[in-house]
Amino acid sequence: MSRSRWIFAMVAALVAGTACSDNPTSGSSRAGTLTLRLTTPHADDGAMTFQVSGPPIDSATVANASIRLFTRRESGSTVIGAVVGALDNGAVATLHVPDVGAAARYTTTVLEVADRQDALRASLAGYALTVAP
Amino acid sequence: MRISILVLLAVVGATPGLAQTPIVDESEPNDNVRTADSVALGDQARGVVNPAGDVDTWFVDLPAGQFLSVDVDAAQVGSPLDATLELIAPDGTTSLAFNDDFDGFDSRISYRVPQSGRYYVVIRAFGATGGPGLTYAINFDKVTCPVVGTEQEPNDTPGTAAPVAIGDSGSGEVCPQDDNPAGDVDYWAITARAGTTIELDVDAAALGLFVDPVIALYASDGTTQLAFNDDEDGADSRLQYSIITTGTYYATVADAAGSGNPFPYTLHVRSITPGPGDPITVRAQGLGRPWGLAVGNTGDLFVSDLTGNRVVRVSGQGVVTTFATGIPTPQGLAFDAFGKLLVASTDGAVYRVTPQGQATRFITDAGIPLWIAVAPDGRIWLTDLSDRSLRRYSSTGQFEARFDAISVGGSGPGPLAIAPSGEPHFSQGTEIWKLANGELRRVLRGAFIIWAFAFDVAGNIYAPAPAAGRIQLFDATGAIVADTFAIGPDAPQAVAFGRDATGATVARLFATDPRVGRVFEVNPAGVAHPGQPVGYVAPRFPLDVAAASLLGGGGLSAADLQYLDALGNHNGRYDVGDLQAYLRTVGGLPGARSNR
Repeated sequence: MSRSRWIFAMVAALVAGTACSDNPTSGSSRAGTLTLRLTTPHADDGAMTFQVSGPPIDSATVANASIRLFTRRESGSTVIGAVVGALDNGAVATLHVPDVGAAARYTTTVLEVADRQDALRASLAGYALTVAP
Repeated sequence: MRISILVLLAVVGATPGLAQTPIVDESEPNDNVRTADSVALGDQARGVVNPAGDVDTWFVDLPAGQFLSVDVDAAQVGSPLDATLELIAPDGTTSLAFNDDFDGFDSRISYRVPQSGRYYVVIRAFGATGGPGLTYAINFDKVTCPVVGTEQEPNDTPGTAAPVAIGDSGSGEVCPQDDNPAGDVDYWAITARAGTTIELDVDAAALGLFVDPVIALYASDGTTQLAFNDDEDGADSRLQYSIITTGTYYATVADAAGSGNPFPYTLHVRSITPGPGDPITVRAQGLGRPWGLAVGNTGDLFVSDLTGNRVVRVSGQGVVTTFATGIPTPQGLAFDAFGKLLVASTDGAVYRVTPQGQATRFITDAGIPLWIAVAPDGRIWLTDLSDRSLRRYSSTGQFEARFDAISVGGSGPGPLAIAPSGEPHFSQGTEIWKLANGELRRVLRGAFIIWAFAFDVAGNIYAPAPAAGRIQLFDATGAIVADTFAIGPDAPQAVAFGRDATGATVARLFATDPRVGRVFEVNPAGVAHPGQPVGYVAPRFPLDVAAASLLGGGGLSAADLQYLDALGNHNGRYDVGDLQAYLRTVGGLPGARSNR
């Protein structure tokens, strides 16, 4: 599957997930973008996998050109992703959501982090992800 | 051969004839200098080395400056004796000269004595054997240097050099007529035109004598040495040199061993026609003794340096940097499936070098790993000289199979390469063999020792022949395409095709040239096809599939996951560090972090 086809499939899945969501958006919701921000205790992070759960996410894009992003919908309300690049404190991804007002309802988990020499971090202490406007 | 030696010695004449020679028989006991038997110059001493361990001692009184010849006749006249000969100074203890084999198993010493006195000659059987049949004769005489061949002594200077034309041969005898410490040096004058590549080829040991000639080529000034060779052709010498300026050049033939024993020789002077790979271009020099060669996925050359115990990297601009150190006598090189450089070392290990140049012992169960290659499936093949086998390992270094290569003869298995068919091919000396369906089959038989060869995509084989100073080209059936593909190299040892910035193999051929410490490229206009891609061919799964698999989407086989883990942090499972490594390998990292 080519990358474009994969993204297409992913977006289709996300849309399908939205349709089947238990949290349909209300008439007062406002679509827009939220930023996924990383807090890291290290200065040489090279790759990370993470999980975002909560309200629907239409799609995700990289926050800047120095990062490469891959995502997959795990379930109707959970997206897991991988970012590879020069990771630092700050924005790593932009989430396109149907309701920016629901930002506080997202929960995030850092799953794995590797340094830029490919070694996996033994501890994820000090790492955090936040979703905010 | 025995007949030719006899004829040769008869022609040489440096050994006096046996007619009318006084014969002196030994008188036991004569085991030491105090009980030595007496002989005089011109005598022939006769005796038997019996019983085992017997030592016979003879003495001869000599004036200062006498050039003594002590020449054994035993094996060459049918005796089973393999004699050794020693000359001892008048103090009775100082060993002045020793010889085991000169004329076949028979010994000879030629020595100019520095002072008057009584000199002792001791004859023994090699291995301290003995018996009633181990008879011998020793001819005691002066060394004489009669006119031999086409040389005209004195010819010890450029001014007295004997002329020899290109395409012709000269013959003579290295025979020191005076006390020149360099011994006899024969000069030959050669007139050559610019653009000519000449080959100077000395045959002396090839005539059946245990001798060691050397050859050198000097510029028209007679003093500037342009080229030198000692043992390119066994103990005999051979060199090639490309003439830049028309003029007279001087070749010298001398004795490397300095034994003093006269010996005849023939000097062949040939002109060699350049091949399609000429002229060559030097890409890097001052590399010590460059041996193995591998090309990285950005086109950089990686070269093992035997004398420096290191691997150097040569960039496309010819910049040389040390890549890895501390690898004893590094030989063959190859990149493994994970982008790491494998280095065969005769210390008994294959080293694995990270892209950062950190070397660790990787495969340690081969006795003397000599050459190494990585197949398209990532498996590692190596040749092991300790048991003369071809061995196969998994991409992660686990031993899988051993194939005995003793049966193919020669002195290998040596250098190794993977053909477009995927079958490992190796040199056993003058022949290339392949392993096909578990059986060894000969592919070609060459005229020279073949070193580390390379395939192009058409299956043609580019084979360096260091002894001949050229690269030869064979087709996939083993038929010769170009006996001289390139004659520019001095002694090409390993060849490898270049790669472009995307990692694709191109129609550029590089080679190491250890005798002169350089890496060169043949003329790319003469290279008909791109090189056969070497090493591991990465799985063709897209990045998104690799990522999706990491994120729980599946899509990759267990082997793929093992590959990805080994590519990255090798911790036993596929994780985000491995994804990062894969992106780096396939050029998928964003920005400057890509290494391709």
